[in-house]
Amino acid sequence: MAHMTNPLATPDQLFQRRSLGALPIELQDTIFFATQCLTQAAGLLLELPQTVTAQANVLLARYWLVEPMMAHEFSDVSAATIYLTSKLSATPRPPRDICNVYAYLLSPSSSLFHNPSAPPPPNTPAAYYLSESAYAAARARLLALEARVLYALAFDTHVALPHPLAVTYLQALDFLGAGREKIAGRAVGYLNAALLSPQMLYLTSQPNALAVAAVYNAARDVGAKMPECEWWEVFDVEREELGFLVVGMRSVEGWGKTVREDLRGMGVEKGMLRRRNVEARLGGGDAEEEATRRMDEKMAELEAGA
Amino acid sequence: MASKAKSRWADDEADAALDAQLKKEKEEKKRLRAEKARKLEAERQAREAAAAAASSAADAQQHERDGTDRGSPAKRRKLSPERETVPPTDSAPKLLRFEGGTFGRSRSVENYDKLNDIEEGAYGWVSRAKEMATGNVVALKRLKRDPKDLGGMPVTALREIQILKDCDHRNVVKLKEVVVGDDTTKIDSIFLVLEFLEHDLKSILEDMPEPFLASEVKTLLQQLASGVSYLHEHWILHRDLKTSNILLNNRGRLKIADFGMARYVGDPPPALTQLVVTLWYRAPELLLGATRYDSAIDMWSVGCIFGELLTGKPLLTGNNEVGQIAATFELCGVPTDESWPGFRRLPNARRMSLPPSTSTKNTTGALIRAKFPLLTSAGAALLAGLLSLDPVQRPTAREMLDHEYFRQDPKPKQEALFPTFPSKAGQEQRRRRETPNAPVRGQRAADLGAVDFSGIFSGREKEERGGGFTLRMV
Repeated sequence: MAHMTNPLATPDQLFQRRSLGALPIELQDTIFFATQCLTQAAGLLLELPQTVTAQANVLLARYWLVEPMMAHEFSDVSAATIYLTSKLSATPRPPRDICNVYAYLLSPSSSLFHNPSAPPPPNTPAAYYLSESAYAAARARLLALEARVLYALAFDTHVALPHPLAVTYLQALDFLGAGREKIAGRAVGYLNAALLSPQMLYLTSQPNALAVAAVYNAARDVGAKMPECEWWEVFDVEREELGFLVVGMRSVEGWGKTVREDLRGMGVEKGMLRRRNVEARLGGGDAEEEATRRMDEKMAELEAGA
Repeated sequence: MASKAKSRWADDEADAALDAQLKKEKEEKKRLRAEKARKLEAERQAREAAAAAASSAADAQQHERDGTDRGSPAKRRKLSPERETVPPTDSAPKLLRFEGGTFGRSRSVENYDKLNDIEEGAYGWVSRAKEMATGNVVALKRLKRDPKDLGGMPVTALREIQILKDCDHRNVVKLKEVVVGDDTTKIDSIFLVLEFLEHDLKSILEDMPEPFLASEVKTLLQQLASGVSYLHEHWILHRDLKTSNILLNNRGRLKIADFGMARYVGDPPPALTQLVVTLWYRAPELLLGATRYDSAIDMWSVGCIFGELLTGKPLLTGNNEVGQIAATFELCGVPTDESWPGFRRLPNARRMSLPPSTSTKNTTGALIRAKFPLLTSAGAALLAGLLSLDPVQRPTAREMLDHEYFRQDPKPKQEALFPTFPSKAGQEQRRRRETPNAPVRGQRAADLGAVDFSGIFSGREKEERGGGFTLRMV
């Protein structure tokens, strides 16, 4: 059964995001979205299968429900999770590859959050050249954070993805009479988009529910005819949960567009959202001290509570 | 006729309508009552759930599972602790609930009180410890971390943790949790908290004046096969089965431990490293350099363990890869194209010279029967099957459990009747092993080059063959 279930977030963990001292929730969501997009981009450049990258997305989401967001640079956490999941997969990637890819994605040459209507940024290799000393520092951060992520998750790196289930369910439904590639591609697309959702759907629902919601959405999109009965119950999903997930998944696209614009507004025209952007957004000259102080308090509180 | 029927039908209809109305009213009342009860029940459950969430996660999980077992209306997970629970409106269908537990930080090793060291292995040291809160005795296995290691957390350790966390079987050792040292700013000491068993099979065999009884061998072997079959059915290869990795408690329960070499595989099997399994338990296809192999390599190790249980001594003890191949061929015969189709295609077999096949006819079964004269013919057949040179011919763990050998007298001894042994692990440090260690990741696989095995049976022509045993003429 382990292959079909995930550990889920507790209500307290989810609630803590809104607690005193945490960043404003919209800002947290923006950081979450930007970092998950960064992980996906890195997965592509590292030529990792989507299963590996998606697992890194899920581990990152779990990690941020245990540890405060501002404790480490966002891109470093992203690199550590993708390093960790690739290491456990059949396609491990050495630290050198990871560091190179992130150096590129964080450089002004990267088109990650670039406005698609604007001309692409000029490619200046010098901007993402990683010197030996810079590499040593990046690797040290990577390995330290890898250990930190493992500690925060009690070394439980298990992630069950809903993608294969969605395909199996579609087969069981005979693809609802629609084109196989069309409907399956659409369902997998919804599952991948759900990785970016600020509602952390992968941490609140089990894979079978996510798979059914994706199938439902895909069927609606391609106009396939679904069974008249409550077919989701066959896959052990309740109507209420299905409804929640269907809406959650459909909202990601539009929400993502506004966040991308928001990111450009925060001066993330080039490269990736950094902690300093967030501190600047929080305002004040001594934003950094303020954030550090808040972080220390939070850490102390968490340590005491642990 | 028709009109009569019709009038009766009409009467019935009226009656039925009246009945239905009465029934409906009754039901309405009943429903309201039920609704009320359900609301109360839901509130009670909410209270309980809140209490359970406050207590340990395991408890909460248990509670939820109990909830579904009782068939109470399932509800969507609460997403904020304060939210009021809404009682479900429709009659809830029976849906499976999948529970995956929760996630959170590792605890500190300071929750455990170290009692004594047990042993130091290739991958770290193990000590006996007591959990202070509960008084439970556990084994703490510390992971060795090389600070100069540029790869970060060793992948073998991560695989071991991942696999043990997924496993739940009576013959596989249980991982309770993973704890870390007190300094959480840099995670450098990591401990696996495993269930504690008093013995390992290796030290028992070394200290026993007499080998195990036939019934005891059967019990041990049956448990081993049951554990291995669980692993294989869950797509796990252990890749380092040997007597020192098999633990035994004082109640005759055997458990497979040390998953430092284990990994998940698929079908068709991916390309894997041939640098697995301690030399003495390594299957011939690995010795010959195969990189595509499957669960049959574990079954070979099971065969070696079987032989070791019978005699108390390791079965095949080569000094190096070449010596191990020679010892293997000496016991099991030299492979031929009939006994092992395609073995010549393995990397290390290409340049190997073997004695002519005529001198090694029908060897495996006969040699094994000669070496274990006290074994029944079913037992010898099982052992010969496990030690088939051709991996395809070895039985799977599931097939092994169904083997005639376990049904014959003497029957496997009940676990509870198993003899007890003075515990090594309980008190003092275990003896250092004389067996070789499992290969280390990243080593170069031995390239055997051109090896000449044609001489290993050179003295055999001079042997006199008798009924079931051989005499060597000097």
